[in-house]
Amino acid sequence: MNPITRSATPDQPTPAPHRTRRRLLAAALALPLILGAAACGDDSSEGGSSDKVELSIFWWGADKRAELTDKALALYTTKHPNVTFKKTWQANQGYFDKLATLTAGGNAPDVFQIDDNFIAEYAQRGVTLDLTSYASSGKLDVSKFPKSLKEYGEVDGKLAGVAMGENTQGLVYDKTLLDKFKLPAPTTGMSWEDFVAWAANVSKVSKVPGTQDPSAVYQALWVYLRQNGKDLYKDNKLAFDEADIAKWFTLWKNARAAGATPTPDVIHEGNDSSVAKQLVVTGKAGTSWVWVNQMPELKKNTKSELGVIAYPGDPSAQWARASMYFSVFKGSPKKDAAVDVVNFLANDPEAGKILGTDRGLPPNLDVRKQVSESVTDPSMKQTIQVQDELGTKFGPTSPSVPPKGHSKVKSELIRIAEEVTYGRSTPEAGATAFVTAAKAAIGQS
Amino acid sequence: MTMAQMPVRPTEPAPPVPAAHRRGRAVRRRRREDLAGYVFLSPWLLGLLGITAIPMLLSLYLSFTDYSPLIPVTEANWIGLENYRRMFTADPQYWHAVRVTATFALIAVPLKLAAALGVALLLNKAMRGIAAFRGLFYLPSLLGGSVAVAIVWRSMFNGDGAVNSFLSLFGIEGKAWVNDPTWALPTLMLLAIWQFGAPMVIFLAGLKQVPIELYEAASVDGASAWRRFVHITLPMLSPVIFFNLVLETIHGFQGFTSAFVLSNGTGGPVDSTLMYTLRLYNAGFVELNMGYASAMAWVFLVVIGTITVLLFSTGRFWVHYSDSEAK
Repeated sequence: MNPITRSATPDQPTPAPHRTRRRLLAAALALPLILGAAACGDDSSEGGSSDKVELSIFWWGADKRAELTDKALALYTTKHPNVTFKKTWQANQGYFDKLATLTAGGNAPDVFQIDDNFIAEYAQRGVTLDLTSYASSGKLDVSKFPKSLKEYGEVDGKLAGVAMGENTQGLVYDKTLLDKFKLPAPTTGMSWEDFVAWAANVSKVSKVPGTQDPSAVYQALWVYLRQNGKDLYKDNKLAFDEADIAKWFTLWKNARAAGATPTPDVIHEGNDSSVAKQLVVTGKAGTSWVWVNQMPELKKNTKSELGVIAYPGDPSAQWARASMYFSVFKGSPKKDAAVDVVNFLANDPEAGKILGTDRGLPPNLDVRKQVSESVTDPSMKQTIQVQDELGTKFGPTSPSVPPKGHSKVKSELIRIAEEVTYGRSTPEAGATAFVTAAKAAIGQS
Repeated sequence: MTMAQMPVRPTEPAPPVPAAHRRGRAVRRRRREDLAGYVFLSPWLLGLLGITAIPMLLSLYLSFTDYSPLIPVTEANWIGLENYRRMFTADPQYWHAVRVTATFALIAVPLKLAAALGVALLLNKAMRGIAAFRGLFYLPSLLGGSVAVAIVWRSMFNGDGAVNSFLSLFGIEGKAWVNDPTWALPTLMLLAIWQFGAPMVIFLAGLKQVPIELYEAASVDGASAWRRFVHITLPMLSPVIFFNLVLETIHGFQGFTSAFVLSNGTGGPVDSTLMYTLRLYNAGFVELNMGYASAMAWVFLVVIGTITVLLFSTGRFWVHYSDSEAK
């Protein structure tokens, strides 16, 4: 503080009162500046490989993911003894609230997990580090990624996140239940109408509702739209109209009338639940609408044997989605070290073996091949097998990253689809409401 | 800035200004006492400024901006009254949340007070083990707005929860109460009413203050128990009722935790439990429109303030302060 105050009042033996006040004011002004400078001081510590670095890393997931990630990070520390980690993880619910709060306080973790719900928003707000230059200099290797997977991490031409896993939609069914009643399993490629009829028959024979009602499940709607030549978004605008949504809601209204689904309160419970409490797991429905990489987590919570296929309709409408990414905080004082860790988690064969398919299929194709050859966990094996098989059917175009406001679109779909489910709204009125709400959510006029 | 200047003020007389010479030592001593005063006040004062006043004023400023928690405050754009305009004219969910909150407060608060008063009357009797009963009835409130009790509530009122098991004993087939848009809010109200312990204890203390002579005199005059309650207990208790009413009304409007837990943070099913504070939280922390959420918070503050003032103004007509008349 002293240098500033001194320069503000040069050698005055008896300063007048207002001068004193000015001096104090200067001191008051200087204080935050000095504190600020101290906070920025860390910047200089980047570089030298022998410097001790502690990186904070934050992700959501279940116990299993924590265990695997811990192991992979420990391996990194073994190889780079100067780098240690401050690890934080929690359940999916509340994760993004916490991440936003940390970011607001300027304390975002150096490395954090993110998904396509928020990556556009975080990238456009300048929270994520643009990794393009790291990718072109080779410090970050995305050359072994499938092209679509790498591009799914780009927002406005900037590489905002590194895909940590690839997944696709999966319709999971309770094989034990079906076998018990000698019912046929659903098959990839069956039409939506055939699927509804199949589910209604399951309800009739087994007394367990055949399928969870997916009218509120955005990724199911998304596949349905693509099968009808539409999409959820195109160029950051909605790529569907009210008629498409009305058709979708009507499909499921008829399915409910045919007894193919549980009652609305149970449907809501399914929409509201974490992976571990999906209706197929709790025995309240014969099928649930999930992502293929969630199979091990589902399997862990049920005694039933589970099967998984593509969503109904033409499977080529599905695509390889980046299930989640790791991003680096733009304000991190240890960017280079953080990028190196992300690079390690994505590309190192040993790390890939440890992480398995918990976040989705390994993004690096070489690693993926090794993992699929060596994996022993049966449900991981199933995930890989199903996704590989579906992968051969994917169409040539895959969607780009959803725009900012996507998570609000998702919650509006749940709200409005449930209004239709509870009979408080018609499919047509619901369709109008959803299009209006979705436009507002993504800021489309 | 304000904070930085604060401890500094008492040191002002330090420079040898002629005026200070004349006033002499008395002034200096007073200033020193001032300083001591500020030092003793500082923990509270710093808390008030740092935790309450400055953030509140900042949120007032932010309510006129498009601030998102993902950007520095300095980068928020001034958008004038846009947040307020959108809130009042272009956000149906906002008005829905207002309706849910008003319904909740209008029903849950009177019922909670009635339950509290009723139980306080029962517990005001002299009988063996009464202290244990008082403790037991207060217990739910100790658990308070805690997350744990809301989770228990959620599982109790679920499709396969304890409530339905109980109902099935009578051949009634219940539903997943918390998952039904008609029943979710009543379930939430029931939780609030059940936690009547705090107003009950205050009522109980109030009941102890009613002079026994009044009841004796009334009994001698042949007043029934009901008339004694209406003409003695209620008027004598009215300041306490008033206090509880104001407190519980504010509390009722601010209900957040149980709604958040019961609906997994969504306010569902179909927004039936979307309390104002929950909508505010989601606007700020999920949709990341912190400017909009700040505007919601300020409207909320003004509305609760207005309601409190209204309650106080009606208080003149029905709140009876015995000591003001005795003098």
